Amino acid sequence: MATKSKRSIKWLIGISIALAALLLPKFASDYGIHIAIISLFYVLMSSSWNLVAGFTGQVSFAHAAFAAIGAYASSLMAIHYNLPIPLTIVFGTCIAGTLGHVLGRLCLPLGGTYLSLVTLSFAEILRIVITNEDQWTRGTMGLQVPGIFRDYSKTKYYLLFLAITVFAVLGLNLLIRSRMGLRFRAVMDDEIAAASVGVHTTNIRVLAFTLSSLIAGLAGALYGHYAMLISPDIGSLAQMFLILAMTMIGGLGSIEGPIFGAILLEVLSEQIRSFGEYHLLVFGVISLLIVRFAPQGLAGLLRRQRWKLF
Amino acid sequence: MAIKLFTLIFISLGFANLSSAETIKIGVVGPRTGSAAAEGTAFDEGIALALDAIRAKGGIHGSSVEVVFEDTGGGPEKAAAAFEKLVTKDKVAIVLGESHSSAALAEIEVANRYHTPFIVAEAWADAIMEKKYPSVFRAGPYNTDVVNSTIVQFIKEGHFKKVSIVAENSDWGKGIGALTDSALKKEKIEHSLTEVDQNAKDFYPSLNKVKTEKPDLVLAYIYSFGLHTFVSQARELSVSPNALVLDGAGPPSLWGEFWTNVGKAGDGELFISPMHESVQPNAEAKAFWNAYKKKFSKSPSDYKIRSAYITVLLAADALERANSTEPSDVVNALEKTNFSAPTGKIHFGTKQGDIHYHQWSPQMLAVQWQNRKQVVVFPKNVATGTIEFSK
Repeated sequence: MATKSKRSIKWLIGISIALAALLLPKFASDYGIHIAIISLFYVLMSSSWNLVAGFTGQVSFAHAAFAAIGAYASSLMAIHYNLPIPLTIVFGTCIAGTLGHVLGRLCLPLGGTYLSLVTLSFAEILRIVITNEDQWTRGTMGLQVPGIFRDYSKTKYYLLFLAITVFAVLGLNLLIRSRMGLRFRAVMDDEIAAASVGVHTTNIRVLAFTLSSLIAGLAGALYGHYAMLISPDIGSLAQMFLILAMTMIGGLGSIEGPIFGAILLEVLSEQIRSFGEYHLLVFGVISLLIVRFAPQGLAGLLRRQRWKLF
Repeated sequence: MAIKLFTLIFISLGFANLSSAETIKIGVVGPRTGSAAAEGTAFDEGIALALDAIRAKGGIHGSSVEVVFEDTGGGPEKAAAAFEKLVTKDKVAIVLGESHSSAALAEIEVANRYHTPFIVAEAWADAIMEKKYPSVFRAGPYNTDVVNSTIVQFIKEGHFKKVSIVAENSDWGKGIGALTDSALKKEKIEHSLTEVDQNAKDFYPSLNKVKTEKPDLVLAYIYSFGLHTFVSQARELSVSPNALVLDGAGPPSLWGEFWTNVGKAGDGELFISPMHESVQPNAEAKAFWNAYKKKFSKSPSDYKIRSAYITVLLAADALERANSTEPSDVVNALEKTNFSAPTGKIHFGTKQGDIHYHQWSPQMLAVQWQNRKQVVVFPKNVATGTIEFSK
């Protein structure tokens, strides 16, 4: 009986959130919709990073770099070949996924610290290339990018981001709950035991890394065509650490954690804009406190109160 | 906890966004962080002086004026986001400022999208006004004018025979470098053009190349602290004082850190500036100088203080004449501007297709550090001394 009523409450909360999300453009100001769009971008970024770090135990520092690859690949195709934007977004996503697969194949067998070091180097190399190849990318001067819609409408962008984010998060949830998800966790929990029962640990990790890069590329491409301007900042380490903080604060290894973390930190960062670069310091302190006092993040805290959304 | 979280999110999404009808908001964009953070301080001082002047006049039709300053960090992405915030959250009536061309190029797109009146104060790239956006104005120097009216004339008047141009790879640097290159070609003055990274700390490779060219003038289109490093390394390699170094932007040669960073290499260095204590073309210029000295107990150094002061007053003047905060009314008022500023009478061109469309620029001076004192050496009619060559 108690379980039934709890399930009803969960459904009620779920429907309320869905309704609030759909109706948000009706009530929020343009600025509110803008924050919501950026929050959804970060939900995509942190949820996909969580797939690698939270479910296969591999820490990659190249996630923001894959968003940059998606953003620049899509933008350059749109600018130089005048192709339809949806097609260039697909192209940018595929390029990020392919490069993610190649990098994963090369580095994932190394594992652990080596993977972190290689991905860190990859991200920095990419930043230098984007900055210096300014005849193509305009470097730090910023590349003007065409928008997706002919008539600029924040509501349209919001609904597009919302649809893609819901699709991606539900897809990730299904994946984690599938037999493949079980293999992901097996690889993370005990690599040798997983291998002994026939799980190809490297292939599993490469798959997670490729999917994660693919989603980051998609998020980056969408972001570029929304912001209509991209610079090497999109793939910077500061961006990477922000995604890391969002996932840690929200709850690494859970589906709902990165969603909480991304929305909370994006909203918080708008509140503390005047802190300038110091806002990362604030996030760092929050992350430290969360790791120390609530290692499962916000999702863990809610779960302790038996509020599990997924 | 969940309820608190959702409340915080909803408040932040702008559901409680009300502003007082008694206050007119003016947005300012500029760097308060990053390598050109000194510009933010200059802007702050200029804004404070302008607000004093507006308050002394009783505000705008009795309404008080509030300035909302958003930091751009000098980067285009942050600049576009800052501009968007000023328009959509703070609901400012007009935006002004900026001192980085790349940031301004990002901001004009947002200004055009929301039809927000925007007065560019100190971003020089020609490209900013080339799109002819109806709500974008510039009341400050621009590359074509600086090159044709000041730099080339200075070179001709100074009888410089061989010029080395060293330009950073920013919108401003690339633009002014290319314009100088073609202007000198036209004048048949021997020259070379070298591009350097805008974040470079090591100019030795470029300076070694310059040294082999044996120029008598080096045009340094390098902004921020990079200029200090360039001047200092140029002396180390004996490029200067054999050749004079001209800072094509100005402010870095006026920052407090200049002499600490360059030492003796600073003596003889030239820079471009529209402001000097001895060049006070009108009563407004003297009033600005005196008001600054009274408020800050020192003389103004960075001319961007005065640029911010002028653009805030220009915005207030347009808002007063428009008697409205509607973007189209403010744009109409700006087009009819006839404002007496410390730099002269400001009025914007309104002919589409003309280079002066929505643009006005002040007269620029060439100033030389001589025994750590600023001496105006160009143009002749306002000069306080002559160019000092290597001793």
